Amino acid sequence: MANDRGYKRSWKNLLINKRYQLRFTLFMVGLSTLLMTGLGIWIMIVATETTKVSITSERGKRCSKIPAIQPPYEEQPAPTPTTPPEPTQPTPGAGSGSVAPDDPEEPRKRPKINVTLDEMEMTKPIIVVPDVPGRGDIYTLSDKGRELNKKSFGWLVVDHWKCELEIVSNVKRLEFGHTRILLVLIAAGILLVFGLAIYGIKMTHKVAGPLFKVQLYLAKMRDGRFDKVYDLRKGDQLVEFYGHFKQAHAGVVALETSDIDRLKKTIAAAEVAGAGDHPSVVELRAMLAKKEKAVE
Amino acid sequence: MSDPTAAGPTPYDGTPGRGPGASQRHKRKLSNYLLDKKLQLRYILVVTLLSGVIAGSLGYMIYDQRHKSTQSIDRDLQELVQDAADIKSITGDYETEDRVLVYKMIGAGVGLVVILSLYLVIMTHKVAGPLFKTSIYFDRMAQGRLSVVTPLRRGDMLQDFFEKFKDMHDAVRQRTVEDIDAMEKALAALRESRNQGDYRGDAHTAFAEELEQLEQHLEQRKKQLT
Repeated sequence: MANDRGYKRSWKNLLINKRYQLRFTLFMVGLSTLLMTGLGIWIMIVATETTKVSITSERGKRCSKIPAIQPPYEEQPAPTPTTPPEPTQPTPGAGSGSVAPDDPEEPRKRPKINVTLDEMEMTKPIIVVPDVPGRGDIYTLSDKGRELNKKSFGWLVVDHWKCELEIVSNVKRLEFGHTRILLVLIAAGILLVFGLAIYGIKMTHKVAGPLFKVQLYLAKMRDGRFDKVYDLRKGDQLVEFYGHFKQAHAGVVALETSDIDRLKKTIAAAEVAGAGDHPSVVELRAMLAKKEKAVE
Repeated sequence: MSDPTAAGPTPYDGTPGRGPGASQRHKRKLSNYLLDKKLQLRYILVVTLLSGVIAGSLGYMIYDQRHKSTQSIDRDLQELVQDAADIKSITGDYETEDRVLVYKMIGAGVGLVVILSLYLVIMTHKVAGPLFKTSIYFDRMAQGRLSVVTPLRRGDMLQDFFEKFKDMHDAVRQRTVEDIDAMEKALAALRESRNQGDYRGDAHTAFAEELEQLEQHLEQRKKQLT
């Protein structure tokens, strides 16, 4: 295009009109930072609360206990239905439905037993004693107990610690999740600030660029030089405004041209009439030369 | 729309100055705030959308965290409390709180967008206003009119740019005034010499006609300076 000199954009020239560009860019960046910070703090408060709730919930989970290894309990023969048992004082801590000994004072018989475990397979089933009053930690021959019997002791220990470690791992995961939210927010904030700053400067440059170009032409016009006006670069804004400027420039050039035409005719007529050497005609010639140079 | 360049009629006095209407200040009007829709709306849309996206995504994160917390409490309650009605009465409050939070955030988001848009319209108007005013002067210059340039309003941006435009306009006007003065003097001197000299014939008539044309031209140029 004849009117386009095709100046390339350069990052060095991005900040042409610092005052205007920085004002708009900083407003955009400042607002986004403010929003990010305010909402980020809110997020972190809620996230901390949520993490605490989740950790508490996690820690409240109950894992199966490691069963106690007990010698088999000698079961007492059931009392005959004909002789009802004497009412006895309930022992504190006695579980309901458990088999209570007839006389708490009487020591129970605990025969020695040898428990041998196959270390490799751990297949020896544990013997679970029936519920004993005051011995809550010992598994009973309830449904649970029977179920336990099906599993080996080793697997029960493994299950217990697996569950415990799972809780610890979940707590760690929740804490890491909390930290990750913070890190993501900080990273997003930094990216946003830099991204917006660059975008803001580039965006305002498309306005500041045409203004800068117009300013250069204005300076030339002020000094009495009416050079050819070239088009804006592709992507520039203020195209309409620049169009107005071009028309103004053309208008001033038209004024100068009309002056030049009139002066030329007057000088020519004066020369024909024999007044070519008149000081006023000489002055008019100087003016004509100046005006012609201005619109070159 | 009022003419921001209006400065009242200024009689041609040979010097650029302020006319009687130069002190007249044009107030900002609500209807005139969007002077350059393309320029202003572009910036407003970018900033508003960006703020909306930030507020929306972070707001969603807040809601998500709150909701997770509520769900966790709900799960725990289901294990601890047998009565479904009790669970409902406790979790119902949390769910209501979550809903209220969403409404609050939507309200805050809409408020933010509206206030921000209005503020940005005003802010961009301070750029579009001077450009609009300068465009009107450019249009006048295109018609060959070099009237008096009045200053920008207080608070307007692009003051530096407008100052440079004013310098150029004043310089062109001053030069035109000087040229007209010089041509008027030359015209008077040539008329005088024509009367005194021994000019005859067609050349004399043609010269007289040219001087007449020059006078009309100068009259026209003087009118353009008002």
